[in-house]
Amino acid sequence: MKNTDSKKWNESTFYELIEVDPQASSREIHAAYMRAKQTYSPDSPALYTMFSPEEARELSKLIEEAFFTLSNQNRRQQYDLQLAQSGHPIFSNLLKDEKKSKTMTSLHPISINPEPSLVTSSKVPAGYGKTKFGVYKEDPEFEKQLQQPTFCNGEFLQKIRTYKNVSLEQLSEETRISKSYLSALEADRRDQLPAPVFIRGFVLQVARALIVSDKLADAYMKSIRKN
Amino acid sequence: MMKGTDPVSSPSHTYQFVRGQFDSDAVIFAIGGGKGGIGKSFISSSLALFLAHMGHETYLIDLDLGCANIHTSIGEPLPKLGIHDFLSDPSLSIKDVSVPTAIPNLKLVAGSSDMLETADISEFQKSRIMGSLYKLKTKFIVLDLSAGTHHSTLDFFLMATNKIVLFTPEPSSIENAYRFLKAAFYRKVRRLENQLELTEMIADLMSRRAEYGLKSPGDLLKAIQNKDLVAGQKLNRILKDLHLHVILNQVRTLKDTDLGPSIKDVCVKYFGLPFNYLGHVEHDNAVWQALRNRKHLLLEYPHSKVYAQMMNITRNLVAPYLKRDMVG
Repeated sequence: MKNTDSKKWNESTFYELIEVDPQASSREIHAAYMRAKQTYSPDSPALYTMFSPEEARELSKLIEEAFFTLSNQNRRQQYDLQLAQSGHPIFSNLLKDEKKSKTMTSLHPISINPEPSLVTSSKVPAGYGKTKFGVYKEDPEFEKQLQQPTFCNGEFLQKIRTYKNVSLEQLSEETRISKSYLSALEADRRDQLPAPVFIRGFVLQVARALIVSDKLADAYMKSIRKN
Repeated sequence: MMKGTDPVSSPSHTYQFVRGQFDSDAVIFAIGGGKGGIGKSFISSSLALFLAHMGHETYLIDLDLGCANIHTSIGEPLPKLGIHDFLSDPSLSIKDVSVPTAIPNLKLVAGSSDMLETADISEFQKSRIMGSLYKLKTKFIVLDLSAGTHHSTLDFFLMATNKIVLFTPEPSSIENAYRFLKAAFYRKVRRLENQLELTEMIADLMSRRAEYGLKSPGDLLKAIQNKDLVAGQKLNRILKDLHLHVILNQVRTLKDTDLGPSIKDVCVKYFGLPFNYLGHVEHDNAVWQALRNRKHLLLEYPHSKVYAQMMNITRNLVAPYLKRDMVG
C-alpha cells in the first residue's frame, strides 16, 4: 500500500505538493514549505482522520525533497526543465528559453508564463483532441468538415461547441462575448445580434477559441446573407 | 428561467439541470460543519447581518429543522410564521413565510421548533423548499444548516452557490467537519453519476477500492479520469466549481490560527478540489453574553475583534459578486 501512496503523491509536482505557484519567489517557497511541514507533521490536528501516520510520513519526506529542490536556483531550474520536457503545459515555454539561454553567458531568472488550462498534461491519448478547456473524443469525419467548413449556421456552431465539450459559459469567458450574444448566434436570432461586421468578429473569435479554421466566419456570413 | 438543453452546460448550473429545477437569481451561502455547537448559527447570522448592513436584501433561512433557533441569534422573538407553515400549506412560498427583522434589508425565515415531525422531512418536502429558495427574488440567501450528515442537510448544503464548512480547533469538530465534507462529496457524485453515465464504473471502482488503491475522493476522481477521460474531466470540472470555503471558529491561541490554512491544505490534497480559506474567528465570551441579552454580538459589540474578523470574511466572500455588479 505504501508503494501506491508514494506513486500517488509522486504524480504531483513539487509546486503542487507544497501548494505554491510555479512563479513563486524563494521567500514564498520557504513560507509554503514551513506551512506544509507543520501541516503534515505526525501530531498535526489537521490530519486527523484524513491521512494515516504512514501517509503523513510519506508526504513529509516528499515535502523535504520538494524544498531541497526548489530552494536552490540551479536545482529548481533543472527541475522546471524536466517538467517542460515531460510535457507539463505550465513549463512549455522553458524549452524555448533553454535554447536562448545556451547562447548567454550569465544565468538569468526563469520566466514562466503559465497558460490558463484545465488540462494537466499536454499528452492526449490517441483518438482524443484537446482544446484549452479540456479533451474531447475525435470524430474523423467531423474533423474533416471542420478543416474546410463550407457551410455554417447557428446549429453548426453549437454542434462544434458541444462536440468539443465546451460550455457557453467557458466560451463567453474566453471570447469576452456575452452569453446572450453567443446564444443568439447559435439560435440564428438575427434580431438579437449587432451589425454584421460585429457578427463576423464574434464567429471569428469563437472559431479561434474552439481551434477551428477562420473560414468558419466566412461560411457563417454567407449563410446569413442567403437568409 | 428554465435551464436550456445545452449538453455541456456550466458546471455550476448542472445540478439544477439534473434536478429539473431553476436557476437561482440570488447568491446562496450555506454554512455546514457536521458537529453541533461550533457556531454555525452565529456565523450564518453574522454573515446575513453584514450583508444586510452593506445594503443588500438578504434572507436568513433557518434550515436546522430539528433545533431551529436562528431568531434568537439575531435577537428576534420566535416569529409566528416559519418553515412549518410553508410545509403544511402547499400554496405558500418561502417568501410568504418570511418576516422582516429589526435590521434593515434582513428577512428571516424561522425554522420549526414546535413541530417535532418537521425535523424529518420527506424528499418531496425537501425539493419544495429547494425549489422555492431558487425562485426567491433577492440578492443574497444565507442558509443555517443542522448538524450531522442527514441527506436533506447535505442537499441544502450542495444547493448553495458558496459552501462554507465550519471547523473549530477541537479534534471532534475537525473529525466531524471532514466527515461532513466526505458525505457531501459522495452525495454530489451520486447525483451526477447518472447524468454522466458513470454509475456502473463508479459502482465497480467503489466495490474494488483496495484493488484500485482508492483511499480518498481525489483517488476516485483520478481513477474515473483514467477509465473515461471525457466523462472524468466533465465530473472534475463540475466538482471544481463547487466553491468550497473553510472558516476556523472559536480560535483561542496563536497556534490555533495556523490550523486553518493547514486544514484547507489537507482538504485540497485529500479531495483533489480547490478550497478557499476565508479566515478565523476568535473565541469571545462576549458572544454568549450578547446572546443572554438577546442581542447579536455584532450589534452589541461593534468594536470587538470578532466584528472585524467577521466583516473581513464577509467582504472576501461577496467581493466577486459585488465586482460583477459594478461592471454591470
